[in-house]
Amino acid sequence: MAATTESVKADAAEAPLLNKKNMFAGAALYIVFYAWVRWYEGIYGWSAGLDSFAPEFETYWMNFLYIEMVAEIVTASVLWGYIWKSRDRKVMSITPREELRRHFTHWIWLCMYGIAIYYGASYFTEQDGTWHQTIVRDTDFTPSHIIEFYLAYPIYIITGVSALLYAKTRLPAYQQGLPLMYLVAVIGPFMILPNVGLNEWGHTFWFMEELFVAPLHYGFVFFGWAALGVMGVVNIEVQSLSKLLKKDLA
Amino acid sequence: MSASQSAVRSRAEAVKVSRTFDWMILFTLFFVVLGGYHIHYMLTGGDWDFWTDWKDRRLWVTVAPIVSITFPAAVQACLWYRYRLPFGAVVCVLGLLLGEWVNRYLNFWGWTYFPVNFCFPSNLMPGAIVLDGIMLLGGSMTLTAVVGGLAWGLLFYPGNWPVIAPLHVPVEYNGMMMTLADLQGYNYVRTGTPEYIRMVEKGTLRTFGKDVAPVSAFFSGFVSIIIYFLWHFFGRWFASTDFISSENL
Repeated sequence: MAATTESVKADAAEAPLLNKKNMFAGAALYIVFYAWVRWYEGIYGWSAGLDSFAPEFETYWMNFLYIEMVAEIVTASVLWGYIWKSRDRKVMSITPREELRRHFTHWIWLCMYGIAIYYGASYFTEQDGTWHQTIVRDTDFTPSHIIEFYLAYPIYIITGVSALLYAKTRLPAYQQGLPLMYLVAVIGPFMILPNVGLNEWGHTFWFMEELFVAPLHYGFVFFGWAALGVMGVVNIEVQSLSKLLKKDLA
Repeated sequence: MSASQSAVRSRAEAVKVSRTFDWMILFTLFFVVLGGYHIHYMLTGGDWDFWTDWKDRRLWVTVAPIVSITFPAAVQACLWYRYRLPFGAVVCVLGLLLGEWVNRYLNFWGWTYFPVNFCFPSNLMPGAIVLDGIMLLGGSMTLTAVVGGLAWGLLFYPGNWPVIAPLHVPVEYNGMMMTLADLQGYNYVRTGTPEYIRMVEKGTLRTFGKDVAPVSAFFSGFVSIIIYFLWHFFGRWFASTDFISSENL
């Protein structure tokens, strides 16, 4: 009886398998932040973002660019450093329940990656298309680029690499090597950022218009395909979860 | 393994855990595929998809289905062959349409003031339902590629016809004959895609008059079959679970 009571107490004190508070707080963080970014674009895109030679452009847009770049480097260093530094050095000897809990945490990271990819590859990328129809391109650092290329893309890169690092440092399923499709799903979309170099070079020296289907943009397309690597990640996860739950679901 | 080493405390908890993972997986898959599919589609067929005056009877009908059958084929290759889930194409298209509609409304209209009846996205849903239906009923990649791929191309124009037809009505403006969609384009000047860039109904095909759209749709369906095959195998590769061993790095 006493042992049962102790066990119940231990269960009650145990951390939940899925920390819903963290999951919703994480999602809210992205959504509220990007809502604020969209508001900023709406106000300062028109009032200070039309002429890159104007002093207000420096104030409202170039300073935004400098601040976000520093913030991203600091965030990536701290986050990746923390995940690596706090890694589990005995990952193969954790209990099945702890492993299940970590899979849930890993999936919180992956859900955040989904949100981050949506904003980067869908929302702000197509938004760039309509901005280019409205202003004459006079700089590579036009307001939509400052948000799309140098904010939204780095944010999904930081999120994706964090998810991969979490899996690699805390989950037994990822100790047999480097998961190929996880690398594809994270590094492929990451390569979209360096591909900005090709895009801006081409637009600067050769092609001022913003024909979206121009071959100059095919680099983005190629690396966008890599997002499909998430299917491989899903399959690795389903295999691992099946091993953990199969006996109890039978 | 003893009972104490089980990951869950009861069968009920196991079921709950399994269902929760299902939703988290679906959420992630939906939004990551949405992102990849949307960037692919907007940069390979986007200009035809953005504006009504690009939505012509020839190039829009040809290009849009060919470039859009890619992700549905790949995701079907994972969801059907691994899990027997017959909604790979519909999930992709729902994601793409959500991404497009949110953006057209909040940004094309909300930021740069292009009216939504000038920049609404193409409808790919009829083709997606047929593609998944054929996969479900036939259970064959070859059948889905040949019949579904052809249907994907053929259904595109009829699937969009109710929306685009009112904008293809001819009008006379300053002594010139054009469509209502062309007139929208003249009134909403776009600095990034000036008129000399617009690719609509170029070439000799239109001299045959009314046959332009069916011929384009049939050609599109033919190429969609080939693209489906190709992307099915891409999908299988992307769904693989291989690891790279440390020695190979």
